[in-house]
Amino acid sequence: MGNTIIADHFLNPRNVGDAGEPSFSGRAASLVCGAQVRFSIQVDEAHSISQARFRAAGCDVLVAAASLLSEQVEGKNTAEAAAIGQDVVALSEQMGSVEMRCIELAGNALLDAIREYSDAAREDWAGDEALICTCFFVSERTIEREIQTRGLTTVAEVTRVCNAGGGCGSCHQLIQEILETNDLPR
Amino acid sequence: MIYLDNNATTRVAPEVLAAMQPYLGQLFGNPSSAHALGREMKRAVEQSREQVASLIGAADVNEIVFTSCGSESDNWAIRGVLATRPDKKHIVTTLVEHEAVRNLCQLLENEGYEVTWLGVDHNGELDLDELRAAIRPDTALVSTMLANNETGVLFPIEEIGRIVRERSEALFHVDGVQAVGKIPIDLKNTAVDLFALSGHKLHAPQGIGALYLRNGVSLPSWIIGGGQEQGRRAGTSAVPNIVGLGAACRLALENNDHARIEQLRNRLEDDILKTIPNARLNGAADRSKRLPNTSNISFAYVDGQSILMHLDQAGICVSTGSACHSTTHESSPTLKAMNVPYPVAQGSIRFSVGRYNTEEEIETLLSVLPGIIEKLAAISPYDKELSAIG
Repeated sequence: MGNTIIADHFLNPRNVGDAGEPSFSGRAASLVCGAQVRFSIQVDEAHSISQARFRAAGCDVLVAAASLLSEQVEGKNTAEAAAIGQDVVALSEQMGSVEMRCIELAGNALLDAIREYSDAAREDWAGDEALICTCFFVSERTIEREIQTRGLTTVAEVTRVCNAGGGCGSCHQLIQEILETNDLPR
Repeated sequence: MIYLDNNATTRVAPEVLAAMQPYLGQLFGNPSSAHALGREMKRAVEQSREQVASLIGAADVNEIVFTSCGSESDNWAIRGVLATRPDKKHIVTTLVEHEAVRNLCQLLENEGYEVTWLGVDHNGELDLDELRAAIRPDTALVSTMLANNETGVLFPIEEIGRIVRERSEALFHVDGVQAVGKIPIDLKNTAVDLFALSGHKLHAPQGIGALYLRNGVSLPSWIIGGGQEQGRRAGTSAVPNIVGLGAACRLALENNDHARIEQLRNRLEDDILKTIPNARLNGAADRSKRLPNTSNISFAYVDGQSILMHLDQAGICVSTGSACHSTTHESSPTLKAMNVPYPVAQGSIRFSVGRYNTEEEIETLLSVLPGIIEKLAAISPYDKELSAIG
């Protein structure tokens, strides 16, 4: 444990525990080493993470990665937080560690928590148009319009055009379904 | 620094170092040389051979062959026996062997051998009926350890040897690496045919091992070259290391600190199991069935590697069966074979006491450990399970 960032966050982990209610939580576990990590987040009306908390049973790298992530995502909206959680390479460079699996595990638990929030936010959405992507706030109608006018056929294309699906990824299945319903003979 | 990792390696004893020193200085020479320096080297090597033979109760000093390490001894024993019995393609071993035996037997499976892997119960003990059923007419070799490196659980090699002899013409190899120097061993009164040991586990330096080959058991030369070790293993003898191993064997026989080591281990084990709520012993609760220096304890729902690193921070060296980093990917196969549940196995720590540990060191460990476990329990995602324990 010669690395000071890892040592610092491992020996004195920040934001340990559970986010205040209502909170959304996500887990990730490794079948290789048995490590387990849990994130819980509280999200405000502007879709920003007001509180990020974690618990972990795993190595120093896992604990440090979760601790760092918890610091970095507070105050970020879910799209920004999801981007941070997915960028394993950036985090590994900050930490000076090549233990990608451990870092990815922490990111996966965070993403899982964001997806739980997104699914709930989508359910709760009371607007006129159905909301699909809660990270970038994209409605079903917008996505349909883009598919029809531009002849889009894949989720990646939809994301490129209107950002939908570019955050936590919880709406990928929904976008796929919209693509299939709109796959009319041309 | 408090060193409680004596099953990994041990400090070279000052007496061993003193015995070796002349052979790293003015006393040099090749034991194969006919001149005075060579003869002196030869004498030193043969004296060490006697010292090794008497520690493990060999009937004849020539049953001892020096090697470079325990893994070499195990590899030679197993491959050598198989080479002498080309018509027999079956091996019996256990799921809890050291990698030197386990990984080799896995490799042999790919080379066309059939391996029967004996399991263990939750105490880490073998079922001898399973062994009886496993031995077949085409069994070339039965290979078991004497003491498990992780849990210290002892296998009854006298009884295993009897079973092997009664039921087959198979040879019986024992990986004795973790046991030698820690418990009395008397091979001449057993049916053990081959027995591996390693110097650095008993306060000799790293880089020296030995293989006991019962008289009558002949293996093909392991290294082809000069006629060293009666043609059994070529290569110029590592005289300083061999002298070190001999001195370490003499010390292990003469020293009467075994009871003291056991007391320290017992104090450590009793206190941890009594004061830390999520602590559980891995291995037979009956201490007579384990090495007197080893305690493998799981701290359920917290991570072993984290415990290790916090102890390291406090200047205390231990080891863990669970590690996820690049070098070691799997969790302990021994604990898996004992059916220890995942979140319990993950928090396992091996404490192994040695000759140079003191009572004060054990008390220091016992004073810092509860705080570390408490701190890790506070960040554990198994908070519900932990609060149920109390």
